[in-house]
Amino acid sequence: MTENTYLKRLFQAYYRGIKSNIHIVNSFEQREFGFIPWDKQIMIRHMSFKNPQNLTKYLMVNAPKHVYSSGTLYLQPDNLDMNKKEYQGCDLIIDIDVDHFYTPCKEDHDQWYCKDCGKSGMGMPTKCPKCKSIKFKTLNWICDKCLTIAKKEIIKLVYDFLIPDFGIKEIDLKIAFSGHRGYHLKVENETIRTLSSDARRELVDYVTGKNISFEILGLREMGHNIHGLLKSNIGWSQKIMKKIEEILSKPNLEIEHLLLDKRKFNLNNKLVKSFFNSKDDFLELISKGQKNLWTIEGFTLNRWKNFLQVIVGETGVEIDEPVTIDIHRLIRYPGSLHGATGFKVQEVGLNELEKFKPLNESNQNLDPIVFKSKNVQKIEIIELFVPPTKISGETYGSFKNGDIVEVPNHIAVFLLCKGVAKTL
Amino acid sequence: MEIQTELIYHYPWLPSLNNIFSSIASQDPIEFIKETFEKYPPSEIRDRILELFRAAFENLEQIMEYKVDKLNVHCYLILKIFLYILNNRVITNRIANLYSKITYNELINESDAYIYDICMDLKLDINYYQLPIKFGINITKDQQEILQTNFRIYFIDYLKLSANLRDEYRRLINNPLSEGYVFIQKRSLIRLLQEYVRQKLIIRQEENKVNLDNFKGETLKIKEFKEMYETISNEWALKEEEFEYSIEIDFKSGKDISGSYPPCVQETLKKTQEGQNITHTERLYIVWFLNSFNYPEDKIVNIFSTLPDFNREKTAYQVRFAKKKGYIPYSCQSLKSYNLCMAKQYKDELCLDGYYSKKYETQREIKHPLTYVRIKQYRTSKIQKISKNQIKK
Repeated sequence: MTENTYLKRLFQAYYRGIKSNIHIVNSFEQREFGFIPWDKQIMIRHMSFKNPQNLTKYLMVNAPKHVYSSGTLYLQPDNLDMNKKEYQGCDLIIDIDVDHFYTPCKEDHDQWYCKDCGKSGMGMPTKCPKCKSIKFKTLNWICDKCLTIAKKEIIKLVYDFLIPDFGIKEIDLKIAFSGHRGYHLKVENETIRTLSSDARRELVDYVTGKNISFEILGLREMGHNIHGLLKSNIGWSQKIMKKIEEILSKPNLEIEHLLLDKRKFNLNNKLVKSFFNSKDDFLELISKGQKNLWTIEGFTLNRWKNFLQVIVGETGVEIDEPVTIDIHRLIRYPGSLHGATGFKVQEVGLNELEKFKPLNESNQNLDPIVFKSKNVQKIEIIELFVPPTKISGETYGSFKNGDIVEVPNHIAVFLLCKGVAKTL
Repeated sequence: MEIQTELIYHYPWLPSLNNIFSSIASQDPIEFIKETFEKYPPSEIRDRILELFRAAFENLEQIMEYKVDKLNVHCYLILKIFLYILNNRVITNRIANLYSKITYNELINESDAYIYDICMDLKLDINYYQLPIKFGINITKDQQEILQTNFRIYFIDYLKLSANLRDEYRRLINNPLSEGYVFIQKRSLIRLLQEYVRQKLIIRQEENKVNLDNFKGETLKIKEFKEMYETISNEWALKEEEFEYSIEIDFKSGKDISGSYPPCVQETLKKTQEGQNITHTERLYIVWFLNSFNYPEDKIVNIFSTLPDFNREKTAYQVRFAKKKGYIPYSCQSLKSYNLCMAKQYKDELCLDGYYSKKYETQREIKHPLTYVRIKQYRTSKIQKISKNQIKK
């Protein structure tokens, strides 16, 4: 039996088990569905179901590798012609996926292999350090650390942007662990559904901080003086100033580390020294928020712009932008299984989010690891190197090519889904 | 909410027109035209409507007197009928620009309460505060100015109204937003209403020519209407040439690159040709783009001559200034963020698929419009070389 046949049977068993409890998205019959089967790298889309029972039947028979539904509502969701689907509006979808941004733990578990020169390494380079090529084969892994970072981003998105700035109501928010490396957030609200793709781009800019104008927010040079931003100005100006205050309230050693960090402020020692000479006065000035004369030796207008850009990066949310802008996008169906992990796409309530630990969840109703079992299974590793996998507090691996290992069922499913092992 | 009839006389584009003048709304347009000419002095109707067209043809931003009475409602509707049967995008844009500017100048003198009533009639989700609310301070040298307003508008309505105004300072990220509402000062709010009015007058061109011709035939049976139509058409025929878009590229020092313009440039130039009011960002982009190819100043200035707020002296100064500063046009990334990228709309292969780089032995994406032109020109010269060689053979 091939791995795909084995996994498909497991997925079938899962869908049979939940048949009466299949998740029902709202306006179910107006959604387009899409599936990726196990045997082909294609997306079967333009499908719709009159009722959840039909979807369950489909899942029980076909048990696809990946299951998606549209954020969009159509009058004819199964029409093959996008222009004839009769678009009715689209939920606001925000995807936070650690695939799209750097996390320090990637240096421990993400591997890359340059397709052009053969060099390999760990981490997330933008180009090959040897030949500068951008063609990589990657093996991305998951760990508690990167999933916690993704969770923090979604919390920041909700509590720093969607609720206070956009006035989105908690009841309209649907959050789900994607089953792999991130979270999806959906805003289900009639008015929000009317937003055009261009308007969604504005929202993306707002939550990421992209295309901000420091000049419009108040940064300007007048004579030899630089006038900065003010905490009392509602909007991004306030966010930036609060973030600066937060950073400057950290221990000096930590601040120094940030200022010197090449991925952050990237200042030289002289500027760091100059910054510390004026730090307390600057902090007092911005905290009072009554004056905006920013005088730190060596900090020109451009230097301040670069400084503020880093602050914006720290303040904004790392989202997968095209997902939000695209009004015809399909997203993973809640309660379905992710074919690259075997984990469930798990909806999580806003009040449950803080405590939610996808790889070690104590609440059974929220646990995305559905094939959990103490039964062991023998598999053979077929990848050069497989980093350690920590699930439910237990670490398995690392493994290397040719290792024959006995691991619990859910770990075996995970490694098989990842394509780094084969059944014996 | 009942909106005062006076307000409709003043602003006949308000949705309440359909309720307050329901008899007109349900009337057959031909009957409506006939009745208007029977009820009101034809010379008065003629003067009011022709004044608008003439002002639009002359690039004016205002008319002598905007009259507020019931006839104004009729004239507004007849104006829309004219735009429909003229079926000319340039004229429509011109009129829409002018009419919306007149509206702005009227609205700016209205009280806050009136502005609120208008917003309510437009079903905008807006908060009105009798006492202004503070949203920040502006400090310049030792002067402190409190930033305050009487209005907050729901961000979705804000985005819808500002969709075509892509100036940087109107972007959501650069505006005070809290609890779903953008703090907006009266002047900015009225600017959004102006844009609403402009869009309202931009009627989609009729694609069904038979329908259009039938309707037009019926309207032209009305003598007074026909006379006006002919006057407008004749005057436009004399003016049309001035509006024709042409970038003369036959200057001696330069090369003709017009065939190599990226879609973003083509689109902006098309808008100027049609007399659409392009944004500040689009203007800068075109100037910087053409300056990059050393287009002569007067040729660049001429491009903007079709815009409603054209001022030759001012434009010439700005073009010169940009040239002196050596600004380079926006990158593709910036153009995308300004929603000026037209790659998808134009299905432009070079923009969408990029090009093959021999140097890097890989497909590379276009990151800058100037690269686009360079590659287009390279390809054109290659094709020309091949065809020359074929001729030689």
